[in-house]
Amino acid sequence: MSTIRLPSLTATVSLLLIATWPGILPRGAAQSPALPSTRIDFNRQVRPILSEHCFRCHGPDDEERKAKLRLDTRAGMFGKLRGGEHAVVPGDIAKSALLARITESDASRRMPPPRFKKDLSREQIDILRRWIEQGADWSEHWSFVPPRRPLLPMVKRAGWSRNAVDAFILARLEREGMSPSPEAERATLIRRLSLDLTGLPPTPAEVDDFLADKSAAAYEKVVDRLLDSPHFGERMALDWLDAARYADTHGYHIDAGRDMTAWRDWVIDAFNQNLPFDQFTLEQLAGDLLPDATQEQKIASGFNRNHMINFEGGAIPKEYHAAYIVDRVNTTATVWLGLTVACAQCHDHKYDPISQKEFYQLYAFFHNVPENGLDGSKGNAAPLIKAPSKKVSRALQDLQRRIDKLARQPDSAKELAKLRQEQAQLEKTARTAMVMAELAEPRDTFVMLRGQYDKLGEQVRAATPAALPPFPAGAPGNRLGLARWLIDPQHPLTARVAVNRYWQMIFGTGLVRSSEDFGSQGERPSHPELLDWLASEFTSPSLGDRSWDVKRLIRLLVTSATYRQSSRMDQASLARDPENRLLGRSARLRLQAEFLRDHALSVSGLLNREIGGASVFPSQPAGLWQELASRTDSKNWSAQFFTQSRGKDLYRRGMYTFWKRTSPPPQMITFDAPDRETCTVRRSRTNTPLQALVLLNDPTFVEASRHFAERLLREAKTTDERVILAFRLATARRPNDRELAIVGTALVKQRQIFERDPRAAEKLLNVGEAPRDPRWPAAELAAWTMVASMILNLDESLTRG
Amino acid sequence: MRTRNVNGMRMVGTIMIAEQQQLLNRRYFLGRAATGIGTAALASLLDPTLFASSGTSRAGALGEPHFRPRAKRVIFLFMSGGPSHIDLLDDKPALRQHHREELPASVRMGQRITGMTSGQRSFPCVAPMFEFRRHGNCGLWLSELLPHTGSIADDICVIKSLHTEAINHDPATTYIQTGSQQPGRPSLGAWLRYGLGAESQNLPAFVVMVSQGSGNRTDQPLFSRLWGSGFLPSEHQGVRFRSASGDPVLYLSNPPGVDAAARRSMLDGLGDLNRLAADAVGDPEIRTRIAQYEMAYRMQSSVPELTEIAREPAHVLRLYGLDRERNDGGYARNCLLARRMIERGVRFVQLMHRGWDQHSDLPTQIRGQCRDVDQPSAALIADLKQRGLLEDTLVIWGGEFGRTVYSQGTLTATNHGRDHHGRCFSMWLAGGGIRGGITHGETDDYCYNVVRDPVHIHDLNATILHCLGIDHTRLTFRFQGRDFRLTDVAGNVVRGIVA
Repeated sequence: MSTIRLPSLTATVSLLLIATWPGILPRGAAQSPALPSTRIDFNRQVRPILSEHCFRCHGPDDEERKAKLRLDTRAGMFGKLRGGEHAVVPGDIAKSALLARITESDASRRMPPPRFKKDLSREQIDILRRWIEQGADWSEHWSFVPPRRPLLPMVKRAGWSRNAVDAFILARLEREGMSPSPEAERATLIRRLSLDLTGLPPTPAEVDDFLADKSAAAYEKVVDRLLDSPHFGERMALDWLDAARYADTHGYHIDAGRDMTAWRDWVIDAFNQNLPFDQFTLEQLAGDLLPDATQEQKIASGFNRNHMINFEGGAIPKEYHAAYIVDRVNTTATVWLGLTVACAQCHDHKYDPISQKEFYQLYAFFHNVPENGLDGSKGNAAPLIKAPSKKVSRALQDLQRRIDKLARQPDSAKELAKLRQEQAQLEKTARTAMVMAELAEPRDTFVMLRGQYDKLGEQVRAATPAALPPFPAGAPGNRLGLARWLIDPQHPLTARVAVNRYWQMIFGTGLVRSSEDFGSQGERPSHPELLDWLASEFTSPSLGDRSWDVKRLIRLLVTSATYRQSSRMDQASLARDPENRLLGRSARLRLQAEFLRDHALSVSGLLNREIGGASVFPSQPAGLWQELASRTDSKNWSAQFFTQSRGKDLYRRGMYTFWKRTSPPPQMITFDAPDRETCTVRRSRTNTPLQALVLLNDPTFVEASRHFAERLLREAKTTDERVILAFRLATARRPNDRELAIVGTALVKQRQIFERDPRAAEKLLNVGEAPRDPRWPAAELAAWTMVASMILNLDESLTRG
Repeated sequence: MRTRNVNGMRMVGTIMIAEQQQLLNRRYFLGRAATGIGTAALASLLDPTLFASSGTSRAGALGEPHFRPRAKRVIFLFMSGGPSHIDLLDDKPALRQHHREELPASVRMGQRITGMTSGQRSFPCVAPMFEFRRHGNCGLWLSELLPHTGSIADDICVIKSLHTEAINHDPATTYIQTGSQQPGRPSLGAWLRYGLGAESQNLPAFVVMVSQGSGNRTDQPLFSRLWGSGFLPSEHQGVRFRSASGDPVLYLSNPPGVDAAARRSMLDGLGDLNRLAADAVGDPEIRTRIAQYEMAYRMQSSVPELTEIAREPAHVLRLYGLDRERNDGGYARNCLLARRMIERGVRFVQLMHRGWDQHSDLPTQIRGQCRDVDQPSAALIADLKQRGLLEDTLVIWGGEFGRTVYSQGTLTATNHGRDHHGRCFSMWLAGGGIRGGITHGETDDYCYNVVRDPVHIHDLNATILHCLGIDHTRLTFRFQGRDFRLTDVAGNVVRGIVA
């Protein structure tokens, strides 16, 4: 993997690239009308106004269009209207009907009509007027134009930038009169990197190694070690599971179990092996259609079988079959196109150029799976393939070897029969995976009027939306062709959308904050050139590197000076840029639900680091499933009765917790995990009292605290040494004197409490299954358990700083 | 802001910085809101205590309701499974003449029916096997199974003309609770929590309680999406209060062996450490976290105080039927808890009583279901009324659809079943903003189609929001480029029932 070396950033580069992008950021000037002399930018200033206030009746939706006026296309904007006039005549405000109608004094004729409650402000009218005066430049919506690789902007400050990312970030900060934050402490950096790249905190030894490494490449060494860690794949897979609406149950009604863990294993492996994103796309959308598709490629195609599946008695199969396909279209469009095509299910999209017919043209790609409208009552729904776990595969191979060997020996019939029976039994119970498959004869697809499965309109064939690039010549008109269309390096959306999601993963917020919507109602990028630079670097890297290389992209992001900044906030920077969209500091982000669990288990030494395989059932309050499940019938279906795992399965990473859609793991849901019913590419981030209750009282966290306490007592001698170790484990840094004093006081108080009541201490120490270290008196260990819990609950422990 | 002395200046200085920041943030977000972005974030900035917290807000996105609310709180008594309107609320004397007759095609009009009865060769009509009686000054006709409901006849409004497109439980319950048959949308309570915010400092704004009916042992499941937050920030999801043994709120109790003193001492240390971090790092989110831990601690006393119903006077327990052993899966207790929650500032209480899915053995099963809910539901209305709470508390009673007039399975002299029916069903409403002692809408002689004043479930939801002072077209959240609402693109306030 190569670092990207920059030519001198102060060298002459085109100043033209440094267009100003006010409006999106808190800047005094941005709130008031731009100076009359400044040039109006259509995409940034005009299109959002049109989209929000006009497109509903004068946009892409043919049915809703009024006065045959369409303002989302060049032809519509400048063409002749019914009455012979023009909506916009460049340079001539007097002849531009649009301006006349929005400034009309007669309220009954003024646009937009008051009933929509979308009145234009004076500033907005002023922008439209000046845009027309200045010649009414028109351009396509930014995300529909393929990214061109911009030159790096010029910056004043020499020596700060480490790679191209920084040039864009710094240029923007300098334009705003701001400067980047200093680099974070090394201990902070390694903790940040470890959490971002593996979802696990660094060990004190790893921190020490890094602190001691004075070589120039010390930081990059850590980065490369983490990118090579098998936990990297887990970390990357987790966000993908949200996008793919992965779950362990079918979701509707009875919500019986399914098993897509083979697909989940495939995703983890794919990230660990650094499968290029184009191939990752191809195999998940159409792995089954690849020539000589391998078992693994078929499993990968299960991406589009992760949607909910129904078998409610009395439901109408056609209705649900349609729902599955709609889900595939919506999910695929959100994940790869960043487009909200769901809006076009019932009518033409009101804001983006996607007609209802085009929605069903996309639908046709996913309509040819040999599946049932109602299915899943007995586990995985057809079509499915055998997908034994690695362990079972090895056992089967072993059996086969023994059978082959025995078969050559005389008098082995009886033993051979026994082995064959064993083999058959193992094969019968082996894991399966739901996969995509294609009918030889594609089903007929029709537009569904108002989105209703039983109201069919015009027949359509599989095709991609006209506003996007043409379908590749010679590509098959099926999912494989669709996937090839998406991964064309010239596709304007795929790379931008993917790169933006990785940016969001590493920096907390996407360059396009609305990472699910790159359409005209989505947010514009905070750093458009940077997004385009990253997208083109992803698809067509400089220096002859591999294209679509995810690890290389992540490496680029985390080795930037931007990433390495401190996350400290002062009042001025907070007031100036409360959401840190300019990246003048590093983000402070509370760990996501699964990583909070992983963190506590890892710090305490309880974590089971096994990767992949079946889902597990760590503790949850009794009765949660049963209270919602169908009662006496439940025995007929799986996943109705919660049975807690035992032993080491209690301590697996959060991402392996069995996900029952109608009653998801309460600890996860409390910390903003989505319910996995539909595709999610951006989690909310809340801070609530219920979260405090989980971290303080959930037996998993209580047990982790006790185990953490035992570790402190075992591995360090004095109180101070133990507290220092606790901080190093939980925060990667050493506590200061005031912190030592506070913890010391807390310990004394807890000791008093438990020494007075040794039975209470016993009760606390009996939480959880892990055996208790008998060396420590109960009161002492209980007091340390409370202290350990306190340290695990520090904001700093819960946060990637 | 002026300062007088050095000490004062330091204090005022701190306030000034905070205020200045809040103003800046406000201006920033107002600027953004003008372009349609971030109303939720805006609300959190306008909340004086938690102004800088990301996505965490006790104030609502609306700030103020759109107009003067008639109700400030809602209790939704959800009868999960689909109670038979024919046997309970929609009296139809003429139906008795059609008993055992085949349902005429002119009535069914080719409407789709579920896969459970679409294969039946015969669709014999079934008149209720119960008597109906008149109640109250308004003379409301009610099934003999609902005598206590009769006692509140003059307080309730029965809507007989509700209808829904859904004909199965999953889509129908999802529809009435979230406004969409397919998953992914926020629930009614989540919308209210988002729009109006939280009132109580010590309790959640949106609470859900589930009880198991005694009438039907094989009842259909419930789903957490029915109180989920959909695409709204997850803090708006309903908080389940559980009636079974264990914590009423998940993880509320300290671990075994940890008493309040140990917890307090631990939280004091934690607060001190977090305050040091807040000073050093400057992230306002840390102060929010400190506040949330303190609220969690307060909940540890406020929730047990709330659920301690044994302290209610004997006459109140008697009113709800809690003076004797009950076999109602906790429904009566939940009704009483609902009142206690309302008194303590909970905005939306969602009760779910299961077991209303009478595909077979309807006469026996529905008797059990009514025995569960009749007295406590009526007691809740009476109790709220005598405390002066009914006038600004909206109470809703009903399920996700009705049941078919024709028999599912064999019709005998004493037994039959009924399949799901979405073409019409009945509910009752009472309290804040609703006219009592009236009925609204009418069905045909077969209780099969609405013939007057149809009320779609979008209309019901629009009306609920209306009672709370919310214009349902203006409570929106932008997701995937579109301003979503509870009522999607439909919904008309049912003016006739609004006081």
